[in-house]
Amino acid sequence: MITPGSKYFFGLTGLSLIAAILYMVLVNPSDLGAVALLGLAASGALIGAMALFTRDGDVYTDEEAVAANAVAGPPSFWPIVFALGAAIVLTGLATVSVVFILGVAVLIGGGVEWAIHNWADGASSDREFNEFARARAISAIEFPGLAAVGLGVIAFFFSRVVLAVSKEAGPIIFIVVATVILVVGVLIATKPFMKGAVTVVVSVLAVVALAGAGTFAALSGERHELAVAAEEDHYDAAHRECGEEESAHYDHLANNTVSLRSAVTATIFVKDGKVYAEAIGMPTKVDTITIPRSNATSVMFRNLDEEQHRLVVHLGSAKVASTGVVEKVGTCTQLTGKNQEQVMTLTIPKPATATEPFSFTVPGATGEIKLVVP
Amino acid sequence: MSHLGSPLSSEKAMDIVNNVKSSSHRIRNSIASIIGIVVLAGCATNAPQDTWQPRGDNAQVINNLQWIIFPMAGVVGVLVFAFAAYTFWKFTDRGQPIPSQSHGKPIVEIILTIIPALILTVVGVFTFRGIFELSNTEDTQMVINVTGQQWWWEYDYPAQAEQGITQPIITSGQLVIPVGTKVLLRETSRDVIHSYWIPALNGKKDAVPGRINLLRLQADKPGLFAGQCTEFCGLSHANMRMEAIALSKEDFAKWVANQQKAYTSPADGTLAKEGEGVFLNQCIRCHQVNGLKKADGTPAIAAPDENVYSGAAPNLSHLMTRNTFAGAKFDLLNKSCRKDVWGAKPDAIGEKYLAGVSESCLNATALRAWLRNAPAMKPMYADPTKLVKSGGKYRGMPNLGLTETDIDKLVAYLLTLK
Repeated sequence: MITPGSKYFFGLTGLSLIAAILYMVLVNPSDLGAVALLGLAASGALIGAMALFTRDGDVYTDEEAVAANAVAGPPSFWPIVFALGAAIVLTGLATVSVVFILGVAVLIGGGVEWAIHNWADGASSDREFNEFARARAISAIEFPGLAAVGLGVIAFFFSRVVLAVSKEAGPIIFIVVATVILVVGVLIATKPFMKGAVTVVVSVLAVVALAGAGTFAALSGERHELAVAAEEDHYDAAHRECGEEESAHYDHLANNTVSLRSAVTATIFVKDGKVYAEAIGMPTKVDTITIPRSNATSVMFRNLDEEQHRLVVHLGSAKVASTGVVEKVGTCTQLTGKNQEQVMTLTIPKPATATEPFSFTVPGATGEIKLVVP
Repeated sequence: MSHLGSPLSSEKAMDIVNNVKSSSHRIRNSIASIIGIVVLAGCATNAPQDTWQPRGDNAQVINNLQWIIFPMAGVVGVLVFAFAAYTFWKFTDRGQPIPSQSHGKPIVEIILTIIPALILTVVGVFTFRGIFELSNTEDTQMVINVTGQQWWWEYDYPAQAEQGITQPIITSGQLVIPVGTKVLLRETSRDVIHSYWIPALNGKKDAVPGRINLLRLQADKPGLFAGQCTEFCGLSHANMRMEAIALSKEDFAKWVANQQKAYTSPADGTLAKEGEGVFLNQCIRCHQVNGLKKADGTPAIAAPDENVYSGAAPNLSHLMTRNTFAGAKFDLLNKSCRKDVWGAKPDAIGEKYLAGVSESCLNATALRAWLRNAPAMKPMYADPTKLVKSGGKYRGMPNLGLTETDIDKLVAYLLTLK
């Protein structure tokens, strides 16, 4: 006998095949849509065959099924969760992507729980067995899922707190909280009086405290320097601070080692306060570096002086499309210490004009290397 | 197949036998002809991409290696084939009893291990020596940047006072070098991996986006040497060609001086001047001509980065000093003039090459056809309705829909770019 479940999938297979044939004839036989429809037909046939083979996954006979469905199961709150997920998805579509993603997660979680709950309800006429079947089917997903959500909530609230307090206070708070958790954990493990209701009370208090602190911190906002950095991206080429002095943000945690030497067309050095350059293949020092137009080309900067230096490239000026204001174009490396190096990768689409030649300089050092884009 | 239904007459049977014999003769003759053609092709002297005709130190290193390895490989190959043939013939199953079976012979196994090891050691020693020799770039005398893109090569010469290059030179399709000079090519690519190969001057070297690979060339005598991209790079890979022109040092100096010459606008009222206007309206979107100015006197700067996938199109400054266009796929010289240049003796090549392309030597048919509908001449991704994957940018030159009058003007203008 063909089972009801397999009938649906075989029907889907037939409809998909018809749709695929129509699509191939009327639209394009090699289009991605045709492949997708054929894939759907194949998937439907496969699942239909599996449903047929497993008799729709039912463990009971037809008589047992009638008896099981005659007994009403307990009410389920998962349809409400599912509906809530749908509402969050719609809200997310109208607001921000994070809400949408959250809605999709709730929708999927609620849907899976609802489906399993409904399936378990009809497993037999024995409610206890049905509950056992539900737990057996879903627990392996439910507990890790809840644990992940719990950890995510803790990490979110805790990160809000650490981002709001000062850089000095953050580690102290982290150490104190970690110590408290360790102490409470040891007490729960070793002292019998800490078990049961006390553990629950302590856990609830901890969660409430964390949620309260996290919410308060989130409402207060991140600490000043982070807010400033977020407002103006210091790492963006347009906002780089390319002067002689150390930049508060751009020079922070500079990585002064280079691994891609095979891609470097020339190296610019600063030694004894003077700038000079060597290009691959050129037997002598060069005062001009030529790089191809519209092609990412890397130039290495190596500081041989005691003082920190950075390499700056000047690429003329250009009108900013959004404001119409003409601004200087250029970029720079981070500050580089003695015997350290950084790479600057440039893609220059247009050659320099006679009035605004391109060049490399090192603030605080003398000399200039001309940059030519033919 | 009608004979299957009824008995055959002896004449018909003979006809069938004769047909079969004649078919087998035809097959045998065809195979013999193909082998003969292949063998004879190996003897060709006019083979511009022959790896056995080195014309410089680097190619000579490879050739020396070939003369060691190929005979060794040949002897090994002949021995293996001969032994296999003898075995097949000697031990064909003719109903004889199966010989007694034994489990290996240590002496034979040791010999068959030692001999290949010795052969590979000899091959390895010479190969490594060759590799180290070819990778030496310390005594380089001249540097040229070589950039590959679909489907043409760009050459830019950085300023090098020793070679008389006081300001960068940019050209495409034809690499011009002075003889007896150790030239270092710094290869890279703007889009996909290509491979640069002028067999007469050196082996091949990949041009890889984001990397700079080094290849040394040196030509002993003046000459023209053909090459071909040897890394499959898309639709027109087979049409991505290049030529290296080796000139005497005096002729090279003349070439450099000409390339550094300032741009001269055609005289007012000429067809070429009108062509300059067409160029400024159409071609400047991708092609740069150094020194060309717009009507308001400001420099005309091409914007290939906005229109071409690779971000570059050939710079057409001094176009008519080159002999080819469209990735060296087509000749700018007509057949007789090209034959004149390519057939010239080494001491006359410089003069003929430096003469460039005159109006009488111009391959106007090909150039006009290219301007009329470039994608019809060279396969490219230039259909404006199919550029979604490349963000609306062309790979190759599109059909600009120029009128015949515009083409006349453009050809007249391009002829002035010398």
